Amino acid sequence: MKTADVLIIGGGIHGSSTAYHLAREGISVILLEKDYVARHASGVNAGGVRVLGRDLAEVPLSKISMQMWQTLDSELDADTGFRSTSMVYIAANEADITTLKQREARMNAAGHTHERIIDQRELRELLPYVHPSCTGGAVSQQDGHANPYRSTNAFRLAAERFGASIVEGTELRNLRRVGSSWIAQTPKGTFEAGTVVNCAGAWADKVALMIGDNVPLNHAAPMLMITARMPHFVEPVVGAVSRQLSFKQFENGTVLIGGGAKGFAERAANKTRLDYEKLANAARTTIDFFPIMTRAAINRMWAGLEAYMPDNLPVVSPSANAENAFHAFGFSAHGFQLGPIIGKVTADMILTGQPGFDLSAFRVDRYDRKVL
Amino acid sequence: MAFDCVIVGAGPAGMSAAVTLAEHGVRSLVLDRGAKAGGQIYRYAASSPLPDPSKLGPDYMSGAALINAFEACGADHVAGADVWHVGDDGRILYSIDGETRQIETREVLVCPGAIERPMPIPGWTLPGVMTAGAAQVMLKTDAIVAENAVFAGSGPLLYLVVAQYLRLGVKVAGLVDTTPRRNFLQAASAAPAALRSASLLHKGISLLSEIRRAGIPVYRQSVQLKLLGQTRVSGLSFYSNGLQQIEADTVFLHHGVIPNPNMTRALGLDHVWNEDQLAWHVKTDLYGQSSIPYIAVAGDGGAIVGGDGAHIEGRLAALNILMRLERISPETRDRLSRSPVGELRRLSQFRRFIDRLYRPSDALRLPQDEDTPVCRCEDQSVADLRAGFQLGARDPNALKSRTRCGMGPCQGRQCGPIVSDLLANWRGEHVSDVGYYRMRSPQRLLSLEELSRFKTVSSLQPRAREASR
Ligand SMILES: Cc1cc2nc3c(=O)[nH]c(=O)nc-3n(C[C@H](O)[C@H](O)[C@H](O)COP(=O)(O)OP(=O)(O)OC[C@H]3O[C@@H](n4cnc5c(N)ncnc54)[C@H](O)[C@@H]3O)c2cc1C
Repeated sequence: MKTADVLIIGGGIHGSSTAYHLAREGISVILLEKDYVARHASGVNAGGVRVLGRDLAEVPLSKISMQMWQTLDSELDADTGFRSTSMVYIAANEADITTLKQREARMNAAGHTHERIIDQRELRELLPYVHPSCTGGAVSQQDGHANPYRSTNAFRLAAERFGASIVEGTELRNLRRVGSSWIAQTPKGTFEAGTVVNCAGAWADKVALMIGDNVPLNHAAPMLMITARMPHFVEPVVGAVSRQLSFKQFENGTVLIGGGAKGFAERAANKTRLDYEKLANAARTTIDFFPIMTRAAINRMWAGLEAYMPDNLPVVSPSANAENAFHAFGFSAHGFQLGPIIGKVTADMILTGQPGFDLSAFRVDRYDRKVL
Repeated sequence: MAFDCVIVGAGPAGMSAAVTLAEHGVRSLVLDRGAKAGGQIYRYAASSPLPDPSKLGPDYMSGAALINAFEACGADHVAGADVWHVGDDGRILYSIDGETRQIETREVLVCPGAIERPMPIPGWTLPGVMTAGAAQVMLKTDAIVAENAVFAGSGPLLYLVVAQYLRLGVKVAGLVDTTPRRNFLQAASAAPAALRSASLLHKGISLLSEIRRAGIPVYRQSVQLKLLGQTRVSGLSFYSNGLQQIEADTVFLHHGVIPNPNMTRALGLDHVWNEDQLAWHVKTDLYGQSSIPYIAVAGDGGAIVGGDGAHIEGRLAALNILMRLERISPETRDRLSRSPVGELRRLSQFRRFIDRLYRPSDALRLPQDEDTPVCRCEDQSVADLRAGFQLGARDPNALKSRTRCGMGPCQGRQCGPIVSDLLANWRGEHVSDVGYYRMRSPQRLLSLEELSRFKTVSSLQPRAREASR
């Protein structure tokens, strides 16, 4: 039997980041990953690193995470591919501008000033190829993008350098509390630890249940497509206030198009199926906003399995029903950017009981109380 | 309304399936990106741009008969329909006239054919280096040839192209044959069975003696091939009775074909490793029925069977589909299958002989130098991949994520087999345990505009039908 202080379930960015932050403090860590590290959402996502447009509850975490991204490569001694390119939300019309102004008022009241409204002239300066009818937008300066597979593995490799043990191809099948230990059963043997952390992504409701917590977690398969290389035409990451538009151009010239359209998820089989008609809509929206994309050549399409909570906010929380158990999951298609800070916060919850942030919006039992 | 049966690929397998279905009253829809039916082997056989296409050989000319039967059988052939997705739900997407069409079908027969096995020798990605298959496409489609080219490798297709060149009076700088001596011994044990297909054997031998008679330099048992040149190819060096060097602007490489995995993999069909052919085969039954019952595979896209084998497999797949559609009884299917099954057995004995004789050496299948490129699209060498492996990417898909190897426009067709073999070596495991890239649609590049013009089609527009006439 292998033992450690902390057992982490899931080798996505949150599990890997948690392993890193714990191992760095001298804690012994075993991380179990049923496939391989970054096989799922954390390795195949759109790589968007944004604070722009986040729910107010997430903004404090997201802002600190954004600071961490700026120096992550040197901290982890790795190449995450992070580029701070800024991100722009396009307002297609006056109604969008109104939406942005209302949001600005709320953000300012909470003391956040990282989102700035821009007019049509500045929009065109930032996005020379945007459709001329677009009226303005909002920009967040520090936002950008990174390579998801490399970023997740950067945490993993750094954690390993501090002595963490990352065990791939090993699925947690059963978990029980015996005395002051968690005993974890896998096809590759038994693992034991004083503390367990659930970072199991789209499978986290199953692991939560093993711990003793019931959560209304859903899983789905957001889709992406990427073009072959094309001449550079856009620097910032692009989104829209009220349309499903989202894309970014990487340094190698490829353009990654998202937009949030979902395919079909079969998590038991590790499989996703694409909904091509929805991708066709995303293609149309992209061309509508950026006619220069008309002839762009799509090279690959895919989807990843992602965990969604009903309110699109994650669970970052101690267990409601068990001692020495913690959750970090349910990031609802925008968890990549939070990777650096969530590992830190989770480690702090475990080590000091003081996460340093107000996490009440992310409690694991927030739906329990509402139902009753 | 859904179609009864859609056939993807109008090569010998697809055409013969359509003919068989039509004989029993099922009018299939046949999609192929080509402007004409025929597939690789019979490309333009019935409408050649060459003044005398009979110089391409009797096999090629026999394709014209199948094409004519196919065109007369009443199947709906949509030429120029570039299928880029076949789903395990029976949905098929294709591009035509700059638009995307979606159709639904009860039964699918996938006949995606073969691709040439990559031959990653030093310099294989230099401009001017092409495959023998590419030489054939240029020849058949546009009657274009390369003067004074070198042909290097082994296998029937290589010799056929050389012979075709010579018959057309094109100068050939040399044939650098890489068939290892020991293959002749290995093949000898399969020869008696292969002799039952004496005419096939004879065809092969006569090609080689034809090349010899033409008097071009033929180098045997060649090893350590290296393409010369910095920015484009200037020749080939190798050992065959000592160090040899031939200058040439064009070098055609070929050492056999493997099933094109992209569509059958993206479909999620089960595949099995075949040690005789050193390739992944689609797992099917005798009738080509895959691990998904309503999806069948016929021809070289499932396992390498050659043009004749593809023709028979198409017929068998069609008989099974007819049974599944309740047009014929199981007994009728079995009765009608007896003779094609026997023929296929005889052919497969001959195939075993060919497989052994032209089994590619590891030294040509796997890059030997650290700086040889593996992925030409993303410019990744053996050393780059090894570095990725050492950073923990043990799975082909992890290595792809780490290095971008396989992410480029060829969609992994070139590097896929090499990457799995390299990882098998590094992990000290068998390639069947390493697996292959997780493939996804689309199977070709498509423009954003093409995708955005998305139409679901339930019956053929009259225009599409006309176009095929
Ligand atoms: C297509 C797509 C695009 C996205 N784009 C963005 C974006 O641009 N910006 C952004 O910020 N976010 C984005 N996201 C969201 C982001 O990727 C996720 O929120 C984040 O990666 C979640 O990380 P995770 O560690 O919680 O989950 P995962 O990466 O899914 O990791 C969980 C891991 O747990 C393992 N596991 C599960 N059960 C067990 C078990 N019983 N035993 C062992 N292991 C187990 C799984 O195999 C998996 O590897 C996107 C997501 C997708 C799918």
